Amino acid sequence: MRTSKLLNLTLIIGLTVQLTFGQAPQIPTIQIPTVPQPTHFTPQSIFDLPKPHSPTNPMDIFQGTDEQERIRRQNEQLIREAEKYEHQRLETQKQLYADLKMERTNFGLPSKNHIAGTEYYRKAFDKLSGMNPDDFSVKEATFIIENAFYEEQKSYEEFDKIVKQTGNFLRKKMDELGYDPNSNLPKNLILFQFFSDTLELKKENLKHLPFKYDFDDYWGKEDWTKMFVHKLLQTGSGQCNSLPRLYLILAEEIGAEAFLALSPNHSYIKFRDDDDNWYNLELTNGMFTLDSFVLQSGYIKSEALQNGIYMQPLSSKQLLSQLITDFASGYTHKFGYSPFVKKVADKALELDPKSANANMVNSNFLTIQFENAVKQIGVNPRDNKDLQNIRFYPPIVEMLNQTNAQYHKIDDLGYEYMPATAYQKWLDDLMEAKQQQDNENIKRQFNIKLNQFKD
Amino acid sequence: MKKILCLLLFISFSAFAQIPNQNLYDEAFEKLSDMLDGKRKLSFKEAVFTVENAYLQGMLDTVFVNRQINFLKNLSVQIQQNRILEYNERDKETVSKYASLFVVMKDTTKIIDQNEKVFLHLPFEYDFEDVFGHYEWENMFVSKLLATRKGNCHSLPYLYKILAEEIGVTAHLALAPSHTYIKHRSEKDGWYNTELTSGIFPIDAWLMASGYIHIDAIRNGVYMKALTDKESIALCLVDLALSYQKHEFYDLDFVIKCADKALEYFPNYISAMMLITEAKGKQIENILFGKGTDFSKVNQYPETRKILEEVRQDLVKIHELGYRQMPEEMYLDWLVSLYYERDKYQNKKINTFTKTD
Repeated sequence: MRTSKLLNLTLIIGLTVQLTFGQAPQIPTIQIPTVPQPTHFTPQSIFDLPKPHSPTNPMDIFQGTDEQERIRRQNEQLIREAEKYEHQRLETQKQLYADLKMERTNFGLPSKNHIAGTEYYRKAFDKLSGMNPDDFSVKEATFIIENAFYEEQKSYEEFDKIVKQTGNFLRKKMDELGYDPNSNLPKNLILFQFFSDTLELKKENLKHLPFKYDFDDYWGKEDWTKMFVHKLLQTGSGQCNSLPRLYLILAEEIGAEAFLALSPNHSYIKFRDDDDNWYNLELTNGMFTLDSFVLQSGYIKSEALQNGIYMQPLSSKQLLSQLITDFASGYTHKFGYSPFVKKVADKALELDPKSANANMVNSNFLTIQFENAVKQIGVNPRDNKDLQNIRFYPPIVEMLNQTNAQYHKIDDLGYEYMPATAYQKWLDDLMEAKQQQDNENIKRQFNIKLNQFKD
Repeated sequence: MKKILCLLLFISFSAFAQIPNQNLYDEAFEKLSDMLDGKRKLSFKEAVFTVENAYLQGMLDTVFVNRQINFLKNLSVQIQQNRILEYNERDKETVSKYASLFVVMKDTTKIIDQNEKVFLHLPFEYDFEDVFGHYEWENMFVSKLLATRKGNCHSLPYLYKILAEEIGVTAHLALAPSHTYIKHRSEKDGWYNTELTSGIFPIDAWLMASGYIHIDAIRNGVYMKALTDKESIALCLVDLALSYQKHEFYDLDFVIKCADKALEYFPNYISAMMLITEAKGKQIENILFGKGTDFSKVNQYPETRKILEEVRQDLVKIHELGYRQMPEEMYLDWLVSLYYERDKYQNKKINTFTKTD
């Protein structure tokens, strides 16, 4: 999966601390003058009133009299009123300016539709939206997504041919090994072997080497095509996005049931045998893993499990949502954020409202849109005090509220940002003795089951 | 004379343990049910002490308890005023309150009174003796914690929640096998845990990796879920039933009544379900005993067969929810692991008050 811009976003949220109209409105407390209650008048105060006929002291000329005091107070009052008036005038002026600005400006992000290359994305989005979420071809969807990035320079026939050939290869190998072609377990085993072992068809002199994990730029920061199945097929090395994706495509081809499952920054394969036992396949290094290993990443909160955002086999609908989110990320890597991204994210959220990745894309969009709008009115989003000035612009305030609400939702889902270093460390842990042993144990059980099918 | 006194003491003591004061238990049940049904103001403090008072036959020293709680509340307010939290989100005020509670519970604080006299407020300690209240049920109580300053994973989070209620913030209880801890939510970190037995903020992986929590139990909200206030009162109802069962003679129907009411508001509360299956088991035994026979004949009578079938179904449901029993001896090892593997499981992002002296 890919990194988010959470750090960037938290900054914004941090900056809005003192905004008085945030999502949880903190209305400034105004001291309302209380109506004096009878008990508030203490009897003594009566004696403090100046006596009407008290003789004036001649020295008052030099030391100030009640009269001078009165004038001083009056002046102060006048100054205060003038200041208040000036303040009101400024506020009105700012409001007038804001009204004018709002009339003339669209605070939304500008469209990028005029940029060459975006048209392929628009076309691809129409195709993806037209797919049946409950029954679609992962192969087709993947091709559409990658080909949009390649500006339709790839041939579907070629892609399809490789998939079909590989499918035939797998079927023949199953036959050679004597695997039951009608059972889910052997089908997934042959797929797993295809990814992690060397497979040979001696009769036809065909040989397939295991796929390698590509450690270089595995989040596609420099080169987004690192995420693609095309790249995996071409180079024989891939990462946690392309490897499971190809697995799903090939599973579709040979009629195996397999599911994608997510964990922080990561995806892997889940499948079940005929007795409903579930297995986790980690394709980045070709191992079986236990749920406990996935949990040990340290970035899975209990809320994430309660909401089913991680470690659950994705339904067809959820998978399409995930693919569409991938598609949106491809666009943002190439062109940045535009209203088109929002449209795509909304579609992904419609299919799977709790998708962590779709929600992240949406909050990135909202944040960037807000920052852009704030800059248009000449307010520095990094300056807390300056940020208060957005109060004259209801549409921008609304944007901030939306952004905050989206953040709240992500927290509710139990999402937590996992830094790249932590992710790498977790993947490295797979090489620990305990995980290796778990892998061997599961393989052994797996083989016992498999042998039952052979007989 | 001395002998008579001893005898009197003995009589009163054994009476204390044997026969529950049914009136007090009934009143406690009514009070807690009314809180759940919204007929009475919900107060966790009141619920907890009502339960303890019922077990103590109405002898709970409420003056002492209230004075202690008031003192801790004031201390928390003082800490909020005198220390600065390095935290800059919108919810700073609330998070400061959480942090002050943590100091009250787990830190040594210097207090200077009006006469310039210096006192030390010491942290509440975890009592490793009798963690489950096997020797003395009062060891589970908040009133005992206030008196001895030693508590366990039941009384410590309960006191924390009571204090939170007193200073006007929400603290959510959360369950793990044989364990209770605190969950808070902040703008900066989302949900995070506060563990009062060892006084650190563990990440969820600590609980998940314990090996005693099935992933389904987390998915179903049996464990590791931030409980609502009503769900916390449901916890008190089960505490009430458990206290009631500590007396030698008791009414199984009352136990089931408490558990049923708790389940009404917290449907996946495993302890309530277990309580019911145990009580039903005893019901079967009683019926069979009345017929002058034993458990081997359970299937011969329609009434016992029916109850047994119910118990079976309940147990299947409990298993499906993801409950697995955690052996008691493993519990302490696991709890201590947090202390020794602090570095691995500590949430390093949580801001607390830095100690000034």
